[in-house]
Amino acid sequence: MRCDRWVFFWALLLATGCAGAKDARSPSTSMPMEPGASYSRSMAAESNGGTRGSREGPMAAAPPPPPSQARGPADASTAPRPDSAHTGALLVYTAQMSLAVFQVAKGIAQVEALARELGGYLALRDNTRIVIRVPRGRFNDALGRIETLGDVTNRNVNAEDVTDEYVDLEIRIRNARAVRDRLQALLANASVKDALEIEKELARVTTELERMEGRLKLLRDKVAFSTITVTFQPVDTAPVRANSMLLPFPWLQQLGLSTLLSVHQ
Amino acid sequence: MKLSWLLLLFGLAGLAGCGRPFDIKTPPGFVELENQEPDFAYRALSPEGVVVGVRVMSLDNQGDLDFWARAVTLRMRQLNGYALLESVPVASRDGTKGTELRFGHDEGGKPYLYRIRLFLAQGRLFVVETGGSQLDMASYQKSLDWGLATVRVKCDTFVSPVLASKTCNRW
Repeated sequence: MRCDRWVFFWALLLATGCAGAKDARSPSTSMPMEPGASYSRSMAAESNGGTRGSREGPMAAAPPPPPSQARGPADASTAPRPDSAHTGALLVYTAQMSLAVFQVAKGIAQVEALARELGGYLALRDNTRIVIRVPRGRFNDALGRIETLGDVTNRNVNAEDVTDEYVDLEIRIRNARAVRDRLQALLANASVKDALEIEKELARVTTELERMEGRLKLLRDKVAFSTITVTFQPVDTAPVRANSMLLPFPWLQQLGLSTLLSVHQ
Repeated sequence: MKLSWLLLLFGLAGLAGCGRPFDIKTPPGFVELENQEPDFAYRALSPEGVVVGVRVMSLDNQGDLDFWARAVTLRMRQLNGYALLESVPVASRDGTKGTELRFGHDEGGKPYLYRIRLFLAQGRLFVVETGGSQLDMASYQKSLDWGLATVRVKCDTFVSPVLASKTCNRW
């Protein structure tokens, strides 16, 4: 009898897993494919009361609150979006910019102020580098304004499509929740021996669920807030790159303040 | 008789020309440093450490002004991390067209300015550099501008155009 119940339990688990996989791409998933306001609303609804995962904790931390509620005038949900409204892709935007080494402290302070003005925040700051995060809708605006702060020697912008991972995570989370609920229901009527097995499985499912929820929140945060790294230093002189710029004139390599100002005999 | 003496005097003066193939007047508040070869053909210094320097490169007519302006800009920005603040056309006292590149760079956390003027003449590239902290450069700006305005890279005279074109005589 107990054996039958155990077989039934595992059959139930398998059945729920298959059912989830069927609708992996169905339009009824909770993640709307239209990337505009509907997605932003979804994010805002689920991020209330959360903390900034990338700064303050592990992946389980919640994404930052929507700009309209906590970040002043900039609103990620209503501002123009950098990604195409037709593709429905969830894009994570990152940019790396190298600025010439001139008035570095002032430049870093201006970048930080810009982040706050655009509804973003400071993620990292040291002597020669600053990392800011700005609402997705202000990403291009931020890049354009940073370019006015100094002489940009290098600029690299990336857009990573995380739609597949996001949708997959949502489905797996929904299934895991269903399994967890069924396990809890089974646990209520289980014998002591079965209860031990069920609790063990329940712990595993719960851990996995928390891991996936954390990852989902991190993805939401990455999509909602673009990351811009501004570095004040010369471009890395890797051999191939350097060769393309090193003209065979030694005096060119001697140019600079250090040579000009070295007047010691 | 007087005319022949005068011609002889000018001729000797032309032949006696030696040293630099350019001319520059040391700006007020600066002193000229001696024995700056081989890196510099001329260098002058203010008490605060603002420096004016001139390099002369024999090019055998390699490259035009635009080429060298871009080469210097690329070198300073991409490899040395200098900020290009401005690029402006300039002219030497003898009318030779040139380019001035104005750079900024932090040295020890302080902002410094670095100006490079490029002139092509006599098959040579003349590189006139000024540099110092932003504050000192600002306080010496008039003096520097005056000194830079005295730069000659062609020294033709009606007496000895051939000889003088090879050297700006300093007698």
